[in-house]
Amino acid sequence: MNGPAAGPREQATDNLARARVAGGPLVGPVLWRVVSMVLARADWPVNRLDEALLVCDALCAHAPMHASEGGLTFSVEADEREAELRIRDLTAEGAASLVQDAILPIVGNLLERVSERVLVEPEDDGKGSQLVLILSSN
Amino acid sequence: MPDIELALPARAENIAIVRHALGGLAEAYAVPEQKLADVRLAVTEACANVVVHAYPADREGLMEIVASMDDGHLTVLVRDWGRGIKPRPDSPGLGLGLSLIATLTERVQLERGDKEHTEIRMTFLLNDEVTSANARSDTSVLASVNALSAMNGNRP
Repeated sequence: MNGPAAGPREQATDNLARARVAGGPLVGPVLWRVVSMVLARADWPVNRLDEALLVCDALCAHAPMHASEGGLTFSVEADEREAELRIRDLTAEGAASLVQDAILPIVGNLLERVSERVLVEPEDDGKGSQLVLILSSN
Repeated sequence: MPDIELALPARAENIAIVRHALGGLAEAYAVPEQKLADVRLAVTEACANVVVHAYPADREGLMEIVASMDDGHLTVLVRDWGRGIKPRPDSPGLGLGLSLIATLTERVQLERGDKEHTEIRMTFLLNDEVTSANARSDTSVLASVNALSAMNGNRP
């Protein structure tokens, strides 16, 4: 959801949730809960769900610093095999910076280790960027 | 900017996501557990109305939830783009939903917007001291909601 602009008449798809959250301390608790609910409903194994929540922790720690307008929009869509987690409303360099922020000593880049694919894409308006993570349940 | 905006397919299983997201809001703002329970119950009722009544059985639609915290008040808006509040003699519900919401909130407003959306706006007072001072207003709100329910039919 990009505010109401996402389209009130947009067709609902299966296991999808979109949220826009004001920055700061709200991002973590909301992202964590919504992602865990959607993945659990898609029957993801607990170990993979845990790893997905590690990704959420990494995103929550740094994403608010790269938000273009103070808030963040995220969407999560999952089936039993794959999930797409999309973080929007980032600054032009925000998505790439967010990936860099996830580098941990010894572990390496957490997002790249846990995700099948990590994509940095421009926003539709060309001004900002979005980060897309494809996660696998296997 | 609201604190949280959620958009979900209007399905029963998605009400749990709304409840959890409100839990996140409560955690961030240290909302007391009992208040959170009230908020969750009222919002669950509003979302259930959307799931059961807003869209025909052969059409899926969205429900949107917008939550904002301001000066000790939490306002939660539940919105759909369905068929609005109309008499429904075959309603599967008991017709208690709006009354329950009115009991749990400081203020409740129903609107049919010009963008063909229906929304219920619930305001919760999170400050205990003020809650008792405003307890009397619940009665009048409840009466007005009951009157509105009777006027519009069975959508609870």
